[in-house]
Amino acid sequence: MRYFIKNGTIIDPAQRVATIGDVLVEDGKVTRIFNLTEIASEQGIVGEDVEIINARGCMVAPGFTDLHTHLREPGNEHKETIATGTLAAAHGGFTTVCAMPDTHPTQDQASVVRQIRQNARRTSYVRVDMIGAITLDREGKLLTEMIELVEAGCIAFSDAGRPLEDPAVMRNALAYASILGVPVMTHCEERRLNAGWAMHEGAAGIRLGLPGYPAAAEEAYIARDIGLAEMTGAHLHICHVSTAGGVALIRQAKQRGVHVTAEVTPHHLTLTDRWVLGSLAEDADTHATAGGYASNAHDSAGKRVRLDPTLLAPYDPNTRVNPPLRGEEDVAALIEGLRGGVIDAIASDHSPHAITDKAVEYGDAACGISSLETALGLVLTLVHRGEMDLVDLIARLTEGSAQILGRAPSSLRPGARADIVIFDPDAPWKVDTSTFISRGKNNPLHGQTLRGQVMLTMAGGSIVFRREDFGTNADHPPQVSRLDGILTNES
Amino acid sequence: MATQTRVSHRHVLDLDIFSQNEIEEMLDTADSMKEILSREIKQVPTLRGRTVVNMFYEDSTRTRISFELAARALSANVVNFTARGSSVEKGESLIDTVRTLQALGADIIVIRHKQSGAPYLVAQHFAGAVLNAGDGWHAHPTQALLDLFTIREQLGHIEGCKVVIVGDILHSRVARSNIWGLTKMRARVTLCAPPTLIGPTRFWKANWPELDIIYDLDAALEGADVVMALRLQKERQQSGLLPSLREYNRYFALTAERLAELGDDVLVMHPGPMNEGVEIMPEVAVAPQSVIETQVTNGVAMRMALLYRLAS
Repeated sequence: MRYFIKNGTIIDPAQRVATIGDVLVEDGKVTRIFNLTEIASEQGIVGEDVEIINARGCMVAPGFTDLHTHLREPGNEHKETIATGTLAAAHGGFTTVCAMPDTHPTQDQASVVRQIRQNARRTSYVRVDMIGAITLDREGKLLTEMIELVEAGCIAFSDAGRPLEDPAVMRNALAYASILGVPVMTHCEERRLNAGWAMHEGAAGIRLGLPGYPAAAEEAYIARDIGLAEMTGAHLHICHVSTAGGVALIRQAKQRGVHVTAEVTPHHLTLTDRWVLGSLAEDADTHATAGGYASNAHDSAGKRVRLDPTLLAPYDPNTRVNPPLRGEEDVAALIEGLRGGVIDAIASDHSPHAITDKAVEYGDAACGISSLETALGLVLTLVHRGEMDLVDLIARLTEGSAQILGRAPSSLRPGARADIVIFDPDAPWKVDTSTFISRGKNNPLHGQTLRGQVMLTMAGGSIVFRREDFGTNADHPPQVSRLDGILTNES
Repeated sequence: MATQTRVSHRHVLDLDIFSQNEIEEMLDTADSMKEILSREIKQVPTLRGRTVVNMFYEDSTRTRISFELAARALSANVVNFTARGSSVEKGESLIDTVRTLQALGADIIVIRHKQSGAPYLVAQHFAGAVLNAGDGWHAHPTQALLDLFTIREQLGHIEGCKVVIVGDILHSRVARSNIWGLTKMRARVTLCAPPTLIGPTRFWKANWPELDIIYDLDAALEGADVVMALRLQKERQQSGLLPSLREYNRYFALTAERLAELGDDVLVMHPGPMNEGVEIMPEVAVAPQSVIETQVTNGVAMRMALLYRLAS
């Protein structure tokens, strides 16, 4: 099958390209890109076996790579399966997901990894890469057989949601992994500093009387792990950084030449601890200091880009996530870190849960957000507010993640695997968690209007998601007006 | 299920959404209720035929009995439910328990729970009214209202009074609800606690900019009209938040010496239960300035006023 994606705006951060043009896909690969001046030479393309996809007004970009996905299979198929999780990924524009090892059995030996990969080959909609456990049973004590795990296909190591409390174990893990050229992904949480925590330690937590998870509990751990990475020369990857202090530590380490990378989630970039207040955030506004939270922001086109915590009831368990939603200063520092490249990638930390895991008292609710399907719409908020350039943002979803994995960045270069996402950066849509493909309906954005929606996702040259009959009307003339105010530094 | 996200005035979950006028109305209603309680027959038919369920997920003496007496004085059917010995021990969730109580015909749920926010969860799944009888560290609105009632009754006014709250502020729902109530009534509120029992002060100021926070109790007490001591759980010392109860008592307790400094007109309050000899000395608890027992008595009138409000 051949596809000809016409009239879209091609964004390919790896090639530093942002241009109107057409993309030809043949035999699962991108074979040609036509820019505006070359469109006349397209005449020979159209034939019986070519499907034309009209992408006018939309962005055509390399498919996103998610470094941090909890697929739950095997062991917790009531929360998610490889099939539902990867289809949710396709709906979110992701064409590669890295599966965290907190499965049952856990991904701590080659035979398990091979078995899950085999299952994934059969049932997944997008590429699934495996993250091996750092320690047996993720218990933080004995190292897994890392060399064999890499041979079995693991592309990174992580104890998924559990900090490695013993620094000697972490040192050994980093040293051992350093010969393998794969990152050790660390969950930074000093659990002696946040015992019994329910949310971020800050003003909202004080008002709500919820036990706090102070920023220092993350920062202390990041500092420790950076020291160990510096000593061993290994590649340390910081999962879901959420604090201003954490960003500063990573910035300093990078300046010193430590091999450290970092990811941030869409929710930590855009939501604050005030979301736990829910409707009570309304009167809290009168006291809130001016800051990163754009409570009544409008974009250049005058459209509302407001994310509104007051649509939630107070103590909505869907706002409970680890690390917790942080303060405004933290959110501002994360955005700044992402913009400046201190934070390399956006990762979903997709954490689907069953309804019963969340329909309980706040402090008892399972942590996590089912985030794949809202990720793009949420991070585009930064673009609409003028806080981030669209090309840079897409880079953090594509080449940023690829570089962490030591891969050539996904790209629309001729010859590249046809992992492609087409999205409308402007399309407003109302989040309705009941329509999620993911089995996890746990997402605090239910009822919010996001702007920016995935229209079509192609993985390895096959269409794995298409919104209604997107792109089938090929007769429309090209239109570029939607780009106004979106692309701020076309390169 | 479509749920209401705005906190409805159908419930009383905290004083944060009360206006000064609404609080005054409640205090006036409690005045009438107190009059009823002084009659020979301490019962009126206001809630006849209504069912009040006291859901207590945490141990309590005075609040539970106070609510029970208040509901009976209004002629309501009262059912007491404790987590212990119920289906909660078989793993029934809070939401399912509430639905069951609703199916059984409950009109008003009074809930005490160790988790902050639990009454909000109940309110979302219950068609009747919910009264928060204390949730975690978060709120204890009936206690705060009875404290306001007691201050107004004893001093004649609340506005302009200097109220010092001393003790384990961080873990105290009584402190939080009193801060809401007192600041809305334009009292001047000073908090006093060792830093480990209040946490970063900027987080308190972000919510209530008008608060004074002072670590030195003697300085905090200067010019106080009311001083409220909070219960100190002895586990706080064991978990490392305090060096010793002896040091706590010396620097943060209401002692006879401090009371003498404060003079005869000060009000000494305590929400109970007390740890005598820890946060308050026994002789202070029974001193003429102490209104601790009056608080308990007023609690019944205040809770009658709240049940009356929710039923109408």
